[in-house]
Amino acid sequence: MSTFFCLLKKELRSCFLSPVAFIIIFFFWVLLGLNFWWMLVQLADGELLQEATQQIFGGLISFSLLVIIPLLTMRLFAEERKLGTLESLLTTPLTPGSLVLAKFTGALLFYLLLWLPVVVYLGILHHLAPDGVVGFPDFGAMRAGFLGVVLVGALYLSVGLLMSSITSNQIVAAISGFSILAIMFFSTLFMAYTAPNPMVQTLGRYFSPFAHLLDFSRGIVDSRILMLYLSYTAWFLFATVKVIESKRT
Amino acid sequence: MIRVEGVTKKYPARLAVDRISFSVDPGEIVGFLGPNGAGKTTTMRMLAGYLPMTSGRISVAGYDVSIDPQEVRRRIGYLPESCPLYPEMRVDEYLYFRAELKGVKLSARKSRVSEVKEQCGLEEVGKRIIGQLSKGFRQRVGLADSLVHDPDLLILDEPTVGLDPNQIRQVRSLVKDLAKRHTILLSTHILPEVEAICERILILNAGQIVAADTVDNLRRELHMGMRVDMEIRAPAEALLEQLSTLPGLEVRRTEEMPEGWIHLELDTKGEDMRETLFELAVEKGWPLRELVEREHSLEDTFLKVTKNTEVTL
Repeated sequence: MSTFFCLLKKELRSCFLSPVAFIIIFFFWVLLGLNFWWMLVQLADGELLQEATQQIFGGLISFSLLVIIPLLTMRLFAEERKLGTLESLLTTPLTPGSLVLAKFTGALLFYLLLWLPVVVYLGILHHLAPDGVVGFPDFGAMRAGFLGVVLVGALYLSVGLLMSSITSNQIVAAISGFSILAIMFFSTLFMAYTAPNPMVQTLGRYFSPFAHLLDFSRGIVDSRILMLYLSYTAWFLFATVKVIESKRT
Repeated sequence: MIRVEGVTKKYPARLAVDRISFSVDPGEIVGFLGPNGAGKTTTMRMLAGYLPMTSGRISVAGYDVSIDPQEVRRRIGYLPESCPLYPEMRVDEYLYFRAELKGVKLSARKSRVSEVKEQCGLEEVGKRIIGQLSKGFRQRVGLADSLVHDPDLLILDEPTVGLDPNQIRQVRSLVKDLAKRHTILLSTHILPEVEAICERILILNAGQIVAADTVDNLRRELHMGMRVDMEIRAPAEALLEQLSTLPGLEVRRTEEMPEGWIHLELDTKGEDMRETLFELAVEKGWPLRELVEREHSLEDTFLKVTKNTEVTL
């Protein structure tokens, strides 16, 4: 347990020592800002409140995660392999499990930081709301939406982590991570929204992160979806531990 | 301290280590010698519990590496070959991180870190970023890291590779100093290094241990005879003809020098032949100005055993 926190501290520190982190923060915060601005425009045009506020967590912004997250995770194991520091880490008394978990937790905390401006936006929305309007912004729905981006983010991060663990080349890690996420995201998206067969549509909705994020943003927390994300994330983390245990050179 | 029994490591394409067995006693300083690709690094990685072995058994300080890797790692300080470090961290930061990772208690951490910094001559660079340090300093940071949890056993994989002669001297004297308190196993392909540091040598070639003994014994056992250097003024052909009549003598090298002098390096088998050579010179009336016994260097031994793996000791 103490090695976990030691590794986590190191992860967070080295995360902010790399320029990549700040570039990612910059672009994602710009995207969040544009997203918020677009939402305000729609509200001003008389769009329904529920429809518009879905965009804070769901909608267009969910596309950007496909790119942002592999960039965030590409460094984690690939760099350790390249530098050879994986060898010096694994010859200390730590277990591969705690190493993977520390890297995952570090990345997840950074990911949460990326969503920080949303808190400010909610404050602004709350301030803008005329007195006496009930349920605007709907903080329950917002909490569910936030849970949604955390779950989807955790799954994406675990996929990125696995891809980073199999190579010593960060570019390879980023591109393969992006490819897997994009296939996962777009195939289910098209199944859910454009498939002619209603059966396929239903199936697509069960697996589409895009649909899930919209659902969460409406305040719908489906325990089946919750379990889906948690178990997938756990499986990818487990696979990463196995890769680290077996692929040593 | 270390017991290695019949350890084999197979990679998909080749056999890296082939049924090697050896042991290292507490307090010893043992050199692992061999040409590049002989299996030194693979063996050390298996000792450190980083690579699993294909078959065989390794125990360190009484713990089996395959069964209790955590206990083994707690007791060893391992410096990998390339001396991997995080270039973006500061020296102090790195050493504190490693100390914490290796389970050095919070109360002892500060004193341990400053102690190893002093041992390795890092007091001045504590605040510097590792990536900006010279290779010599980085090597010392790696050494300090391997020492920080005060391990019983130090495994150093090529600790002086890539250093300038001055730094090599410093690292060597540091390692010698450490030998007072730790058991050390170090690998190198540089011969003078083991001659300078180690008490005992394991020579590894093509995955097998081809020689294992103390430095002095290895020198002696492989060379029953001695080497003699001679400088004499004589007609070259007549001299070589005379020398070829002497039994047990072999001319290794001749070199013509100014004013008719000839420098010869001779290998003799068995007894001392200097007297015979002197008498030959007197008999022929050839002036003789040098006749010395030279010690065989370990290099000869090394070349002999790594070229011909059949050599048994």
